[in-house]
Amino acid sequence: MRVMRVKSIIYVSLLFLSSCSNLFDYQPYDGLISGEQNINKTNIARIESACSSKDTIRFIMISDTQRWYDETEDFVKVANKRTDVDFVIHGGDVTDFGVTKEFLWQRDILNKLNVPYVVVLGNHDCLGDGQEVFEKIFGTPNFSFKANNIKFVCLNTNALEFDYSNPVPDFEFIESQLDSVLAANAKTVFVMHARPYNEQFNNNVAKVFEYDIKRFPQLQFCLSGHDHRIEADDLFNDGVMYYGSANIAKRSYLLFTIYNKGYNYEVVNF
Amino acid sequence: MKWSIFNYILALITLMPLSVKASDSQYDKHVKHYQRFWDRLIPRYGKVQFAGSMGLLSMGPGWDYGKHKQWETDVYLGFVPKYSSSDNKITFTLKQNYIPWSLPLNEHFSMNPLTVSLYFNSILSDKYWVHEPNKYPGGYYGFSTRVRSNFALGQRVTYHIPDAQRKYLKSITFFYELGTTDVYVASAVSNHYLNLSDIIHLSLGLKMQLF
Repeated sequence: MRVMRVKSIIYVSLLFLSSCSNLFDYQPYDGLISGEQNINKTNIARIESACSSKDTIRFIMISDTQRWYDETEDFVKVANKRTDVDFVIHGGDVTDFGVTKEFLWQRDILNKLNVPYVVVLGNHDCLGDGQEVFEKIFGTPNFSFKANNIKFVCLNTNALEFDYSNPVPDFEFIESQLDSVLAANAKTVFVMHARPYNEQFNNNVAKVFEYDIKRFPQLQFCLSGHDHRIEADDLFNDGVMYYGSANIAKRSYLLFTIYNKGYNYEVVNF
Repeated sequence: MKWSIFNYILALITLMPLSVKASDSQYDKHVKHYQRFWDRLIPRYGKVQFAGSMGLLSMGPGWDYGKHKQWETDVYLGFVPKYSSSDNKITFTLKQNYIPWSLPLNEHFSMNPLTVSLYFNSILSDKYWVHEPNKYPGGYYGFSTRVRSNFALGQRVTYHIPDAQRKYLKSITFFYELGTTDVYVASAVSNHYLNLSDIIHLSLGLKMQLF
């Protein structure tokens, strides 16, 4: 009887203690998540419904916010002052160490954005068990969404973090995004963390990748982060522009506007 | 024959220490020295710790030493449930404690107003590395995902079990610690957004002193 009582007291107190998630820390890589999950899925639904009948799509590209909490918070304040932006794309590396709490801290800041946002997987986000945590909080490493007639294909390009059992970039996924029935005015934007010829990219297939994505209707441009500097390069000399966002510590973001007949972009410092 | 061989051996073993005392030969001294050395390696207590960035629950043996037993070295195996990650984790911890003061409270209780702990925790999994794998360009990440350094301050209360009631333990100590980990410090130092309360965590534990 006494042993039973002691056992139940221990059990109840452990249960109580585990519920105080902020008070205790089990291990930095424990994967213990509190709060919102599946952010990308929820926000894609918001983007797709809000943009469904818009002729002009305007969005912000940021990237590499790891450990720059103040700057990320300042960005959110600046972005919230705008009323002309439809959504925000984060180019990956929300964490520096891939530690579980980093994901939560960054999510809680980005959740203060008025407009919906999506996050692609960065190489730092893969460290330890980071990828699993990323998938729970944000979503799958490869995903896509539509803002009216523009399809955003978001890819995991952090090949250095994976081996052959995980195809990076995943050409099967890219293939699956090529819709058989296309709207006449369909356009495509590719989003990734590391661009071709970066050390993270599987450069053995850099040209194959370029060849593959050029099959997509009205490929507008490609977006990336990772390099911590603003970039605008025609990487393959074929007219496909790769735009890179700086890390958030540089206090800048890229603002893209896609019209019926083209697009423009500007670098906004804050 | 009333005495079996077993009894002779038993008698021999019982009498042996006496014979050692009688003649302290060089050999006997060496044996004593040898035994004293290994005796010191017998764990003097066991600990169980809840949380502390080294596992949901960790346990292991330890040794106290120093003039006032003010030093402790603990080793732990910790368990971390998989939660959202792919596997349950086992961790190994090496912990060094400094306990400068001990205050008697009454006949049976005493307390330590301060404990200072430094410990290293390692996830026992190939997914985590001490040195970056060769596939990365040199110094690509510049840190280890496997080994975490931790620092904690704490307090303790000890119940000294009266001689008559002792069965297995000499005393039982409850302790708590407030601590943090290198990656949390690195995250917090460079900005105002994270507060101390974001990076300092509580842990609880029991120390069971054997002798």
